[in-house]
Amino acid sequence: MGDATLIRLEDVHFGYRSHAVFSGLTMDIPEGEITAIMGPSGTGKTTLLELVTGQRKADRGRVRIHDRDLGSLSRSELYRLRREMGLLFQDGALFSDLSVYENVAFPLREHTRLSNTLIHHLVLMKLEAVGLRGAASLHPSELSGGMARRVALARSIVLDPLMMFYDEPLVGLDPIAMGIILRLIVHLNQTLGITSVIVTHDVKEVLKIADHGYILSEGRVVARGRPSELAQSRDPWVRQFLDGSPDGPVPFNYPARDFAQDLFSAGVAT
Amino acid sequence: MRRVLKLLRPIPDFLAAIGRRAGFFWATCAAVPRTLRRPGTVVEQIFFVGSVSVILIGVGGLFVGLVLALQFYTALSRFGATSSLGGLVALALLRELGPVLTALLFAGRAGTSLASELGLMRATRQIDAMEVMAVDPMRRVVAPRFLAGVISMPLLAGIFSAMGILGAYLVGVKMMGLDSGVFWSSMQHEVSFRSDFVNGLIKSAVFGAACTLIAVYEGFHARPSAEGVGQATTRSVVISSMAILALDFILTSFMY
Repeated sequence: MGDATLIRLEDVHFGYRSHAVFSGLTMDIPEGEITAIMGPSGTGKTTLLELVTGQRKADRGRVRIHDRDLGSLSRSELYRLRREMGLLFQDGALFSDLSVYENVAFPLREHTRLSNTLIHHLVLMKLEAVGLRGAASLHPSELSGGMARRVALARSIVLDPLMMFYDEPLVGLDPIAMGIILRLIVHLNQTLGITSVIVTHDVKEVLKIADHGYILSEGRVVARGRPSELAQSRDPWVRQFLDGSPDGPVPFNYPARDFAQDLFSAGVAT
Repeated sequence: MRRVLKLLRPIPDFLAAIGRRAGFFWATCAAVPRTLRRPGTVVEQIFFVGSVSVILIGVGGLFVGLVLALQFYTALSRFGATSSLGGLVALALLRELGPVLTALLFAGRAGTSLASELGLMRATRQIDAMEVMAVDPMRRVVAPRFLAGVISMPLLAGIFSAMGILGAYLVGVKMMGLDSGVFWSSMQHEVSFRSDFVNGLIKSAVFGAACTLIAVYEGFHARPSAEGVGQATTRSVVISSMAILALDFILTSFMY
C-alpha cells in the first residue's frame, strides 16, 4: 500500500428512501495506486463512485479527498476538485449530438484556452491511445458499446486527471479491447501516477493489475488487501465471490418474505 | 373536515412545484452572464430552435392570414367597410394572433424537441457526465436554450405576422379585388409602431422565455426512462400552452 491516502470514507451512511445502501462504510484509497472495488451486483459500487465524485452526498459520515470533506465544499470548490478527476461511466455517457472528436475535445474546449491546433493534437493522441483515431469523425450512434466506452475513456483522460474512476470498464468488451483497456489503466497509473479506482465484478482480470482490493457486500467491506492476500483468503464469503461458485453465503436473491407465505397468501404481492 | 383537508391537499404540492420552477428560472438567469461569454453555444441553439420551426411558422402564418382575410372581408362587406381590411388583419396579427399562435406552434415543435432532448441527455447520463467534468449544465445546456427561445420567438412571430399579412393581401387584393393602395394605407393608418408592433414583440419574448423554460425544466428533471421522457415531453406542451394563454391575458390587460 502507498504511504499517503488520497480518498478516505469515514463511517459513511447512504440510502435511497427506505433502502440502506451503506451503513457505516469505511475505506481508504491510497494515492498513486490502482484500487479495485469488487462485489456482486447491487452492493452499491456505482453509488460509491457517485459519493466520491460528489454527485451524491452521504447521509452521515464523511468522504474526504486531499483531507477535505466533500460535503462541506461549495459548488465552485467541488467543480475545482472535479477538474482533477476523470470518471468512465458504465455506458460511456457520450454526448450524442457531438462527433467522437468533439466528445474528446469537449473538456479541453470548456476548461482551457488552447488553440485548435493543440486541441487537435491532444484529441488525436488520446484517441490513438484507445485505438480509435480512425473513428474521430463518427457519431456515438455509429459506435459499438465497447467502442463508445473507449471513446469515453479517451474523453475522461484528456485533461490528464490526478484521479481516475472506472465504473465497470470491462463489461461488454471483447478480449482484445479488454487487454488494451487494462494495459492503458496500468500505463496511466505508472507513467502519470494517476490514482485509479476500478469498480468491477470482473474479478480475475482486474486483480491482475490492481495493487489493492476491497470486496463489498450489503453495504460494508467484507475483505480488503493485496490481490495475493485476497486470493489466499479462506473466508467462505471471499472464496465464493472470487471462485464464482453458485453455492455459498453470498446472498443472491433480493430480500423478500418467506416463499411459502408468498405463494399461499390470498392477495398477490406486487 | 376530512373532505376539506382532502381538497386542500394538492395546494402545498402545487406551491412546491411553482417554487421549484421559480428556483430553476433564477438559476437559469444566474447562468446567463457566464453563457454569454461563449456566444457560440447560443447562436448554435438559435439556429437549431429557429430552423426546426421556421417553415411550420411561415406556412401557419400564411393560412391564418388567408382565413382571417376571408372572415373579415365577409363581415366588413356588410357595413361597406372592406377598405379597413388591411388594418384590421395587421392589428389582429401583430397584437394577438402572431405572438400567441407562434408560441403555441413553437411549444409543439421546438418545445417538445427541447424537452425530449434534455430528457434523453438525463436518461443517458450525459448531464451527469457534464457535471463530473466540472461543466455546469445550467450554463452549457439550459441557459443557451433559454436565450435561444427568448431571441428567436419574436423573430418567428415576425415571420408569422408577415406571412399572415401576405395571405390577407392575396385574399383581399388578388381574390376579392380590393385596391392594393387602400389595403396598405389602411394598415399604415391603423397600426402604431409603439403600441402594436413593439408590444407584440414584448409578448413574443415573454412567451419565448416561458415556453423554453418550461420545456428545459421538464426535460432536465425527466425521470431517466423512456416513459419519463415521454411524460416530460407531453407535460411541456400542456403546461406551455396553458402558460401562453394565461400570460397573454395578463400582458394584454397591462398593454392595451
